[in-house]
Amino acid sequence: MLSLIAYTNTLSAAPGETIAVKVGSYGARTYRADLRRIIQGDRHPDAPGYKDEAIALDLGGERVARHQAIRAGSYVQIADRGNVLAELSSFTLAVPVLPTLIGDTERTIFHLTGIGLELLIDAEGRACAKLGDARLTLAAPLAVKQWILLILSFDKGELCLSALTRESEVIAAGKTSAALSRNAPVAVMIAARAPGENHFDGKIDSPVLFSRALEPLEAVARLALPQNLSRLPDLVVFWDFSRSIDGTEVIDASPHQLHGRTAQCPARAMTGWRWAGQCQDWRQIPELYSAIHFHADDMTDAEWQTDFEVTLPKSLKSGLYAIRLVPDGDEAQAYHCVFAVRPPRATASGNTVCFLLPTVSYLAYANHRLGLDVPGTEVGMGRLVEIDRHHAFLQEHPELGFSFYEVHGDGSGVFHSSRNRPVVDLQPGIKGFLGGLGSNVWQLTADTHITGWLEHQGVAYDVITDEDLHRDGLALLRQYNVVLTGTHPEYHSLQMLDALQGFVDRGGRLMYLGGNGFYWRISFSDAHPGVIECRRSEAGIRPWEPGQGQFHHAFTGEYGGLWRRNGRPSTELAGLIMSSQGFDLSEPYELGEAASDSRADFIFDGIDRTLGRKFGAFGLSGGGAAGMEIDRADFALGTPRNALILGSSKKHTDIYLMTPEDMLDPTPDMSGTQNDTIRADLVYFEKEGGGAVFSVGSIAWAGAMAWNKYENEVARMTWNVLRRFDKRN
Amino acid sequence: MARYQITADDVPFAREFMADPFGYRSPGLQRVLNVMRGLGPQGKYVILCTEPYRRWQLARLPARRGEAIEAVEGVNYDDLGTAERDVFLRRWRDLGGPELPLELLTMRR
Repeated sequence: MLSLIAYTNTLSAAPGETIAVKVGSYGARTYRADLRRIIQGDRHPDAPGYKDEAIALDLGGERVARHQAIRAGSYVQIADRGNVLAELSSFTLAVPVLPTLIGDTERTIFHLTGIGLELLIDAEGRACAKLGDARLTLAAPLAVKQWILLILSFDKGELCLSALTRESEVIAAGKTSAALSRNAPVAVMIAARAPGENHFDGKIDSPVLFSRALEPLEAVARLALPQNLSRLPDLVVFWDFSRSIDGTEVIDASPHQLHGRTAQCPARAMTGWRWAGQCQDWRQIPELYSAIHFHADDMTDAEWQTDFEVTLPKSLKSGLYAIRLVPDGDEAQAYHCVFAVRPPRATASGNTVCFLLPTVSYLAYANHRLGLDVPGTEVGMGRLVEIDRHHAFLQEHPELGFSFYEVHGDGSGVFHSSRNRPVVDLQPGIKGFLGGLGSNVWQLTADTHITGWLEHQGVAYDVITDEDLHRDGLALLRQYNVVLTGTHPEYHSLQMLDALQGFVDRGGRLMYLGGNGFYWRISFSDAHPGVIECRRSEAGIRPWEPGQGQFHHAFTGEYGGLWRRNGRPSTELAGLIMSSQGFDLSEPYELGEAASDSRADFIFDGIDRTLGRKFGAFGLSGGGAAGMEIDRADFALGTPRNALILGSSKKHTDIYLMTPEDMLDPTPDMSGTQNDTIRADLVYFEKEGGGAVFSVGSIAWAGAMAWNKYENEVARMTWNVLRRFDKRN
Repeated sequence: MARYQITADDVPFAREFMADPFGYRSPGLQRVLNVMRGLGPQGKYVILCTEPYRRWQLARLPARRGEAIEAVEGVNYDDLGTAERDVFLRRWRDLGGPELPLELLTMRR
């Protein structure tokens, strides 16, 4: 277990900039911090050895570790102004809801604090209203995943609650005596009683509040014409969730303008109670996207206090770094806050080689629980799930929030991931679930096979992050001859793809040293710093679907899903496209005729290129250079015609299956021992203007590079390519 | 979700697994493993890394997020192959598989 966890306010900083460190104790009493440069993070006995480097920088002495809580759960908060809410003497609240999880606990839909008015679903799943000491509960429990209109009114000491179907049928109603009194400042909470308390799971559609008691059908008639609501003299507020969908604002469309804000990133651009398939894109008819889907386990900002700040020396070279926190003097229990030191912003570093740290993909997998939540993970691994101390911690602390690989407690997909919280699997040296027989490392630690190799070769290189690339675009890449990817750069924004494509189109050289890259679309948003959105539409290997009509991102309106279905297949950039995955064994490539093409001479310098020879039959990730997630060249899907297919893996275990986007008509021959499309291709192609791309199409490649302390033919080939790519002619 | 039931016809596949718990599988063994490995999450066997890459302990997953993983006291492994064989035999028994020949049971370690 982890006795201390932490995060920083950024995953990338330039020399001279300051990083804020936020630390939370989970048993640790004290800790000391130091700055380390991370070189090689795989601790497997056959790996080249864990290696980091202490940076001489005083981060202060021993500090007391304090607990900082995490309060998961999204909500909307609205402050009263001008006593609009505080002076209500009678009212009607009308709110359509679609609960997705009921039972176990009370789940608050609407809470008017200071007055003690609350509309909720009780632990038995029944709609319930509270006002002061009065409590009114409808007899019949609500059904999950069905819209219901709740109408709560109060006048002259009588509290009435009704539940109606979308067809305006009253299915339950009740009334009781109650008194309205104000005892504290008035504010509104939607979808929670208070932050971290009694959160609601499900959709809530644009609550409306009137200043007098209405009969249920009278309220229904008003809701049928939302565009007219603002002209009604007795309208108090109309929180129109279909406005400002891309931001955190919640707009009150009434003249009172009691606007509010969302917290913890509930899902917006969600179909409301009037949606019945009329459109698929919220930007076309936003009024139909009038719902917000809240989750009790949404978590995009831990909101921790800063414990200390670190100003990076101006002379610090670019690289992969961590602020290491050693609890109670025990280095074996150290927690690492990983970040990149990017090159200086105003001046070129002079380096011509750049490692693109795939931080967006790290966030996509942040705190992922595949081996904990998903029984089938073991089937895909082909062996037992290994649990290290960070996994055990994750299991007991779901409040840390999820990755794109989880579903919420109500079974709906996780659309958002964030760096504004501890990401306990973003540390060197930890175990993965999917890393294959051998090291079983994933993402960051697997990527240190590449940084370790760069150090071993004595390469001067910069490290930039995906977020840097998204923000700065091609301008950030102009100084480089070569960009190297990580092992699994799966998630990209349009801006990131444009920058990389622009780089190779203008003479840059790309070394794609991974598998299943450039697969899913994500969006950033200035309204949600540090958060990314992903909606897994239509196809792709995915643990959930976004729901009908909800395939467009709320952040940007972009159509979510595979880049392959968005006109930007990875073949255009990298020459390869995702073909299959399996997390047990990896295989060698068998060299093809193109390996003897004169254009590939430099690639095979010092390497036997006999036709059919097995190349890379070793490695830390499954025992071969081709495996885990693998890509193939596919000319029909956009692989450049001049691409040389230097080698291909020729078989994989039957854990490797065809992807859903390829498996249009399932037949029982779509597994690794039977189907030729299930292969990794090793590809090289040149671009007009001097650009070039070398793509390995395999997550396991870097694990082979690190085999035998980087002394092997896979590392040799990688070096041949890097050495050539770094020469401009 | 699994439909397949382990029967006496699967004993050869148990033999195949015990001989080599990693690697390529016959279709029959893969089918048996799919049933076994798809179990859970509640009570699912996992292994805790007690010493990285050197020592593991058998454990079982809880039913819900937030609950602790339960270590099985006294069941430790010094290599992954031993862990795989042991858990295979436990699951074989749990799933009502027929008695296995003694030589397979003694291959546990």
